[in-house]
Amino acid sequence: MELSHFKIGHEGREVFWNAEHFEPFLFFFTFIALVIFAYGLYRRWLIWSAIGKAEPEDRKSNWKVRLKNLVIDGLLQRKVLQDRYPGIMHALIFFGFLLLFFGAAFDATEFHVAEPLGFAFLTGKFYLFFSFLMDLAGLAILVGVFMALDRRYLSKPDRLGYRGKPDNTPDDAIALLLIAGIVITGFFIEALRIAVTWQQTPWEVWSFVGWTLASALNGISEPTARALHKGMWWVHTFLALGFIAYIPFSRLLHMITTPANYYMATLRPTGTIEPIRDFENAESFGVGTIEEFTWKQLFDSDACTRCGRCQEGCPAYLTGKPLSPKKLIQDIKTYWLEKAPAAIQAKKEELRAKMAAGEETDKCAKVLAFLDKIDQAIDKYVPARPETGEKALVGEVISLDELWACTNCMYCMENCSAAIEHVPKIIGMRQYKVLMEADFAPELQLTYRNMENNSNPWGVGSHLRGEWAKDLGIKTLAEDPNVEYLFYVGCAGSFDDRGKKVSIAFAKILQAAGVSFGILGSEEGCCGDSAMRGGNEYLYQSLAQANIEVMNGYGVKKILTICPHGYNALKKDYPHFGGNYEVYHHTEFIAKLISERKIKLKKSVADYVTYHDSCFLGRYNDIYDEPRKVLKAVPGLQLLEMERNLAKSFCCGAGGARMWMEEHGERINDARAKQAIETGAQTIAVGCPFCLTMMSDGLKTHGKDETMNALDIAEIVWKAMDLEEEKPPVDVCKT
Amino acid sequence: MNIIACVKQVPDTEAQIKVKADGSGIDEGGIKWVMNPYDEFGVEEALRLKEKFGGEVTIVCLGPARAMETIRTALAMGADKGIHIDDPALYEADSYATAEALAAAIKGLPYDIIFCGQRAIDDDSGQVGSILAELLGIPVVTMVTKLEVEGNSAKATRPIEGAQLVISTSLPCVITATKGLNEPRYASLPGIMKAKKKPVDIKNAAALGVSGASKAKVVKFVPPPARPPGKIICADDTPEGKAAELVKLLREEAKVI
Repeated sequence: MELSHFKIGHEGREVFWNAEHFEPFLFFFTFIALVIFAYGLYRRWLIWSAIGKAEPEDRKSNWKVRLKNLVIDGLLQRKVLQDRYPGIMHALIFFGFLLLFFGAAFDATEFHVAEPLGFAFLTGKFYLFFSFLMDLAGLAILVGVFMALDRRYLSKPDRLGYRGKPDNTPDDAIALLLIAGIVITGFFIEALRIAVTWQQTPWEVWSFVGWTLASALNGISEPTARALHKGMWWVHTFLALGFIAYIPFSRLLHMITTPANYYMATLRPTGTIEPIRDFENAESFGVGTIEEFTWKQLFDSDACTRCGRCQEGCPAYLTGKPLSPKKLIQDIKTYWLEKAPAAIQAKKEELRAKMAAGEETDKCAKVLAFLDKIDQAIDKYVPARPETGEKALVGEVISLDELWACTNCMYCMENCSAAIEHVPKIIGMRQYKVLMEADFAPELQLTYRNMENNSNPWGVGSHLRGEWAKDLGIKTLAEDPNVEYLFYVGCAGSFDDRGKKVSIAFAKILQAAGVSFGILGSEEGCCGDSAMRGGNEYLYQSLAQANIEVMNGYGVKKILTICPHGYNALKKDYPHFGGNYEVYHHTEFIAKLISERKIKLKKSVADYVTYHDSCFLGRYNDIYDEPRKVLKAVPGLQLLEMERNLAKSFCCGAGGARMWMEEHGERINDARAKQAIETGAQTIAVGCPFCLTMMSDGLKTHGKDETMNALDIAEIVWKAMDLEEEKPPVDVCKT
Repeated sequence: MNIIACVKQVPDTEAQIKVKADGSGIDEGGIKWVMNPYDEFGVEEALRLKEKFGGEVTIVCLGPARAMETIRTALAMGADKGIHIDDPALYEADSYATAEALAAAIKGLPYDIIFCGQRAIDDDSGQVGSILAELLGIPVVTMVTKLEVEGNSAKATRPIEGAQLVISTSLPCVITATKGLNEPRYASLPGIMKAKKKPVDIKNAAALGVSGASKAKVVKFVPPPARPPGKIICADDTPEGKAAELVKLLREEAKVI
């Protein structure tokens, strides 16, 4: 094709070219598609609201923050794009579609509003830009769809399945083919139009895909082109309208539910669990049946796109445990879909009874009653789901091994691109097993008894809690309550031999820096984190309340901790029960002491160090920089990063009460220690006593405990401060 | 089936035991009190029999007001009701006076089987179960690790050195439980809540018609001597030299060989 008489100024195109009389039909079919779409959504809404119980958490207020989340994660795809290949793949389709959607809206506005009113705007340079953009968008979608097809059907990464078995469903393919079909037919329509009109509309070269295709169709006769165009126009229309109607009945539903989930995402601090408020009068605790999930928790599983981001970093899944966060969410969904017909029936019968008794005069109810008549008519033609036997949610739908494999590491929630909240569901089901059935691992029962009797998981006499500080000249608050900080030591720092060394190192740092602090000694109790995350909310609350009573009794305002579990509990969970404190983790506090020049790091400790992000410090509390800053302040220390670090860090395996439970198969701490060894570091630095134990044990497993070591940041700093002569091991026979 | 489980409240195994300066007893300050672990095996076995045969489990406990907590613990595990024998006259009861009070409380009740722990971990006397059986005129099998009840008789397994005895007994009888009989359950939360409302009868010595007089009396509590420090053998650097030194010390100083 040659470009003759190309002149800028009168560019544009005729909307409904070659389809002049189709408009009323188009309206009619669009209306039908929208009705099917709305009806599908309504049926879905019936399920969520019929099965789930009321959501106790506020999911509506603070709309500005919610809108911001929606824009950043939904519209701008922040979370999705954090994962490169799949992120780009999805963004190409998403933004392409968004552009084409607005393009269609522009076309409609031009045709129905602007042109009749005489201010057509799709002309001139803007039209050229618009044409170029639309073709680019279409092309982007095709590239995205191609990438998606490759991922799902050719390269098949593990996360799109479960243990090597893809979890593809027919609608995965249908959705992709529909999208591709819409774009391809669109391009052909464009090309056929250009093939007929190109001599009058040389500017259409800006519709570069259509133009190229038209060039390929060179020689096609006008009548053939027009006939083909008409046919293709209808195919395109039906694919596009079919797409809209198909949304509520397929994975495309995530176009609605995922953004909605962003909007409703919890605004509470990461990992907050709604406390059980009324132990005396509640009839059941935790989640033992699907109906005990809240509607939002069920809705979550409809926002899941099975993308597998959660699975890709789940420490339980990656070490061969049956748990996969994706599978868990999908299993819950499959189960409520089975339960849906009966649940909806029950809900409707309740409504019908109310309407018949004249109790219900609400307009909404009247609409529902009307829709119910439609449902009944339609249900006659819907094939009945096969009857499935009654299954227990906990134990059958979700196996106990899955339920107890979770370390509460928060990888799934932090990396989910649909704002799904996995961990509270797991804790809810654990609460059911522990509080209602008292059926859980014997080793965890022993742990809980120890916590009940001696306020620590090891079961060491509670009177020995302050022993580690005996010779350090540290006062208890009973001896001197007029100190600035309470050093809440926690169980590991008080009873575990390895943990005690960390407490001592940190206390010495504080003393050297002249910080005014005291401890609670035997008045301190277990923070209760393991009880709470292991489903024993009752024990957790009694422990929390005991601590709060003591701390409030002394008027404690500022607290220092060395354990991220206590840090997290005291900082974020104790406010539920009247414990409001300013809480610092020791890595934060040491970073502050260094920046204020209260302590000086003089001596080299280790050349190569890798830092293991503790889940309860990193993902739970966003403390990533401080520990690294501290380590970099040590003379001669070079920090080596593991591949899985920061928000994608790999758990040590001890969170979520797993510290106290037997682990079968490949151990999570061994897997993590291997990752640390691979960096070539001599030392694994940690900021958590649980991680310290886990990493030390992992090094032993790999036979590296002679050449490598695991140290808490406080220990490294205390050594680097060089205030204490290192004593060589004493040979008792030589003295 | 009517089952009775006797329980005692004792200091937690990890509690710090301090003897009072005058040797009259232990200082109870700061002690965490728990159910005697051997009694817990008895309560658990009682509950398992109830689950199998139906009926009722009654907890009988002698002790001061704080012992109520232990009764509630057993009720939380699933027992149905309790009898709390609380009388200052009985606080220092010996095994006989304890068994006498328990027997008086149990006498009026219907029972098919009575469980006791094989001993309490505080005074370790291990006599109450047997005396109780004697006072009630029924058989007793002590140190039971396995129990099978059928009809009107029971088969109890009891370890002895190098073997196990399987003893058959008629019901009613007293069984004293020991480790291995079962794994006591963890109380469910509804169980804990319900336990608060279950009936517990509080009875004193007069109501039971017992005097509370002990036959034996603790004269004095004496704390064990502090453990002497360990000894490191340095005499010779060779293993042979060290072994010779060790033998010498065991013979002359420790006088054990």
